[in-house]
Amino acid sequence: MMTPAKAFDQYIDLCGQFGAPGASPLLQEINGLGRSMLAEAAKAYRPDPAEIDTLRPDAMFATDYGINLMRVGMPVDPAATFRCGVPNLGSLLAIVANDSFHPTEALLRNMPEGLTVCSLNKVPAGLQHVASQVMRETLEGGGVAEALNAAFLADGVFIHAAAGVKVDKVIQIVNISAPTVPMLSLRRVVIVAEEGASLRVLLCDHSQTAATPHLNSQLVSVRVAENAAVELYDIEEDTPATNRHWTLDARQQSHSSLTVNSTCLHGGLSANRYNINVEGDYAETSLSGLAICGGEQTAANTVTLTHSGKHCTSRQLFKNALFDNSRGGFGGKIIVRPGAMFTDAEQTNRNLLADDNARMTAAPQLEIYCDEVKCSHGATTGQLDERALFYMQTRGIPAAEARTMLTQAFMVDVIDNISFEVLRQRIHVLVEKRLTGAAASCDTCATACHTS
Amino acid sequence: MSQELLKVTDLRAGIEGKEILRGINLTIRPGEVHAIMGPNGSGKSTLSGVLAGDPRFTVTGGSATFHGVDLLSLSPEDRSHEGLFLSFQYPVEIPGVTMVNFMRAAINAKRKYFNQEPLSAGDFLKMMRQKRAVVELDNKLASRSVNEGFSGGEKKRNEIFQMAVLEPKLSILDETDSGLDIDALRIVAGGVNKLKTESNATIVITHYQRLLDYIKPDFVHILYKGRIVYSGGPELALELEEKGYDWIKQQVDNQ
Amino acid sequence: MNKDNIDNYTPDSDDTLSKATSGEYKYGFSSDIDTDIIPAGLNEDVVRLISQKKGEPEWLLDFRLKAFRHWLTLEPPTWAHLDIPEIDFQAISYYAAPRKKEGPKSLDEVDPALIDTFNRLGIPIEEQKALSGMAVDAVMDSVSVKTTHRERLAEMGIIFCSFSEAVKEYPDLVRKYLGKVVSYRDNFYAALNSAVFSDGSFVYIPKGVRCPMELSTYFRINASGTGQFERTLIVADDESYVSYLEGCTAPMRDENQLHAAIVEIIVEERAEVKYSTVQNWYAGDAQGRGGVYNFVTKRGLCRGDYSKLSWTQVETGSAITWKYPSCILAGEGSVGEFYSVAVTNNRQQADTGTKMIHTGSNTRSTIVSKGISAGHSENSYRGLVKVAKNASGVRNYTQCDSLLLSDTCGAHTFPVIDVANASAVVEHEATTSKISEQQIFYCNQRGIPTEEAVALIVNGYAKEVMNKLPMEFAVEAQKLLSITLEGSVG
Repeated sequence: MMTPAKAFDQYIDLCGQFGAPGASPLLQEINGLGRSMLAEAAKAYRPDPAEIDTLRPDAMFATDYGINLMRVGMPVDPAATFRCGVPNLGSLLAIVANDSFHPTEALLRNMPEGLTVCSLNKVPAGLQHVASQVMRETLEGGGVAEALNAAFLADGVFIHAAAGVKVDKVIQIVNISAPTVPMLSLRRVVIVAEEGASLRVLLCDHSQTAATPHLNSQLVSVRVAENAAVELYDIEEDTPATNRHWTLDARQQSHSSLTVNSTCLHGGLSANRYNINVEGDYAETSLSGLAICGGEQTAANTVTLTHSGKHCTSRQLFKNALFDNSRGGFGGKIIVRPGAMFTDAEQTNRNLLADDNARMTAAPQLEIYCDEVKCSHGATTGQLDERALFYMQTRGIPAAEARTMLTQAFMVDVIDNISFEVLRQRIHVLVEKRLTGAAASCDTCATACHTS
Repeated sequence: MSQELLKVTDLRAGIEGKEILRGINLTIRPGEVHAIMGPNGSGKSTLSGVLAGDPRFTVTGGSATFHGVDLLSLSPEDRSHEGLFLSFQYPVEIPGVTMVNFMRAAINAKRKYFNQEPLSAGDFLKMMRQKRAVVELDNKLASRSVNEGFSGGEKKRNEIFQMAVLEPKLSILDETDSGLDIDALRIVAGGVNKLKTESNATIVITHYQRLLDYIKPDFVHILYKGRIVYSGGPELALELEEKGYDWIKQQVDNQ
Repeated sequence: MNKDNIDNYTPDSDDTLSKATSGEYKYGFSSDIDTDIIPAGLNEDVVRLISQKKGEPEWLLDFRLKAFRHWLTLEPPTWAHLDIPEIDFQAISYYAAPRKKEGPKSLDEVDPALIDTFNRLGIPIEEQKALSGMAVDAVMDSVSVKTTHRERLAEMGIIFCSFSEAVKEYPDLVRKYLGKVVSYRDNFYAALNSAVFSDGSFVYIPKGVRCPMELSTYFRINASGTGQFERTLIVADDESYVSYLEGCTAPMRDENQLHAAIVEIIVEERAEVKYSTVQNWYAGDAQGRGGVYNFVTKRGLCRGDYSKLSWTQVETGSAITWKYPSCILAGEGSVGEFYSVAVTNNRQQADTGTKMIHTGSNTRSTIVSKGISAGHSENSYRGLVKVAKNASGVRNYTQCDSLLLSDTCGAHTFPVIDVANASAVVEHEATTSKISEQQIFYCNQRGIPTEEAVALIVNGYAKEVMNKLPMEFAVEAQKLLSITLEGSVG
């Protein structure tokens, strides 16, 4: 039997054969750190038995993908080709094509004072230490997936709001996957909101190919300083050929607020991991996500939320609607450290099994080391309310339509966690389209990812 | 149009293998109001459920013809399209589905059934406004989820509002008076009366005479142990109010 | 043993709660009974020796040897939320039998010290229990000493005897069912038990028979440096019923004692088994010295349609508890239940819960777990609810509550819910909270001292589970809860 660590051998070998791909001293440093940690991290890796086996790092990274170590350029200029037209979003848009960052003209022209959105290879001198520190922290607190990402990282996105800077516009990063050969894309996003700053970031994952299997390893670090606020929205509109290993490393200081909302509509394997450390006092955290899975799709959200500060509040709400042969997973762990008094933590996971071959695995967990707490979790797996279905039918609504409406209604409270009105409405529409089986493109988004 | 709007013949039905309706015969013509009364557990709600197509019940025999159509062969939604409306004793709460979306889906499904174009947003909202007036329903309810957080009275008014929107040929009001105070009862009954025409009919299922003071029945039937054991005019309801159900029970049980 | 509470008193803490939660071990006395112990260590020869001492047939020796060889390939499990010191399995003596010429024929022949032990436990071996309609099989250090009421039960066709006797007298039955629910391959401790088990209980309830009395086994670890590896096998044939009680105590010793038991239950069509445990093994002292390691594999197979298995446990003892009484719900419409109260205090660690494996259609399960942590203890619920692909109409409801009585303890919940059938409805709820200061204050205001108030509140909190215990046990379990959490009991 192959030990789990063996899955990473190919990457350790690659480190010996190729130099560090980072184009800047900053990324070179991170490449070096990742490489120095990779072998140890692989050895120390232990699969989590509660995790769906196909989503474990040793399974996802075991395939022999190509990595664009030679930095072969994309034949097109993505910034010119892809315009996102989510109406009135007024977003500051950048594109990540496979694994290279491309800002749009609009972004460069409209960048507000105190906001930095740039390639990790082009971090301004004054912010280099910030980017470096955040990436080091994530590596030190991470495991093999984080080390692997760092070892081969060639580019990434750096978003920084200086102290007191409140950015109204949404910063939108569209990740485009258009590989022509089986490929591993390493993506890195570093988001820093300094004291009193506020940021809204939307990450859209789009794949343009359903034919070529590919793996996207995306590592997102978020730092929310005192009195700062960050909203992070994530939409996955990939194809069955996409495997996505997505990790969030977030840390919150006192009086900060963090909102994370994820919408998974299409994909192959989606492993979303959220590691949140609430270090300060009086911080608020809201995590929510929905996944609608069909076909052979598998999607799981795995949360580790650690409360170290006092008087903090956290809310988690994750829902899955599973059709066909799909599989859904939820792993939620709330850890309340000694001394994290007056923590108020709630976690809810609800799942719909719509077809006989669908399967749901949930592991909602509490680890409490402090007595002055209020913690609860609830998890249910079941079906739509048959009484509601009948009621709707007696009013003339056909059964299939009633089911769609009820499934959509099931997701409403997750979507309502999106405070940004335009986006919230867009997600409502996308979810409806997903459920009615309409061609799942972001409609007005000119990237038209799914037309290929 | 057939002279008989609904003809129920020897209808038998049950739940989980237990027979509840044991041979119901009932004929309803356009313009009529029928009251079905009976003690608890006599099968009143089963009858309304079976006619509306509630999947919890299994029909084990008999037939029901609705203006010439075999009612029992239709799906619940097609029964609705054909003009059958059930006002639920306990209207179902549907979190996350707004009243507006719910009613638009209902109307457009019916229009589609009759090969009509969907209603435009403007026409739809106009219609909602008009129909709301029938039961004095607050327009704020329109943006709320179906029945969620509605008071007992609001729920029943919402049922009659939906009845007004769907313009059924036959309305079955299942214990519409339960849980209503006198003001709400008057509003609900007033709504039902406003909607009454020469061509539609109403079945009022109730335990008490009270509702029949407001909605005057042409016929009163007494349901007991799954059968209609007594039929008469409006005076029967008054007699029941006075004497209770015991004399009926005794008569039937002694037979 | 009426010891002053001074050992537990920490001068820097005037917190009444911490005093209230530091109970002393009431049953920490050691019986002075002649014991026949084989030298420490484990190898094939020891396994053969155990088998030989018990005069076992060849097939059973084979079973033991297979288990032993498999055990050699295994590592102790590390996945639980437990800090288990390394156990030297070669330092343990795997067999200790009270020395006796022949099996006692009457109560007079039983060592008076043993009788005294049971008297002090409040478990008089015969008369009192006869009055309360209970048959007791006392397992002292692994060997069944005496089984009462056998004749009366035998008239009804009920077999209730020690495991060794069953091997001799009902070899076909034992052979048919042994290891069928808990294979020796199941886990490290199950393999160990299967290799070296010394004795235990065997119960067979024939078709259509309702066992007229509660069957009870009282386990007790006596000899120092011995592990207790008993094995219980219960078979309830079609349309039968039995309620089985298991109580456990151990004397107070400085070193840790290992207890690795197996309980296997087979429930046939429309039969019902109720298995209740009050576990009060020695928990170690306030500093965490000594105490029993309680590593137990308990599992029942609801094989027949409409069968039912109900586990109720009150866990107050042991330094470390690792046990997950489980149900495999294979029969159509079968029902599994798990009701648990686990109290940990001082340095105790408990990782306990259940597995409900639904492989049959229309099967139902209910899980109610109440964890109470005090002192520096760690208390975890771990559970699995699994609905197999072909099991339709399954229902499960799980409620896990944790109550924290100190700011230095831990309370954890680790459930896994795996549903592969779209007609299942599975619900899990869990809450963690501190004991309510308002409730304590309310009691205080009515003149109830804090210690008593805590006991009162905890008993109320655990009531849902305690109510599931048979009457005779409920009173004792209630007392145990108080003892574990109160300082004033001796």
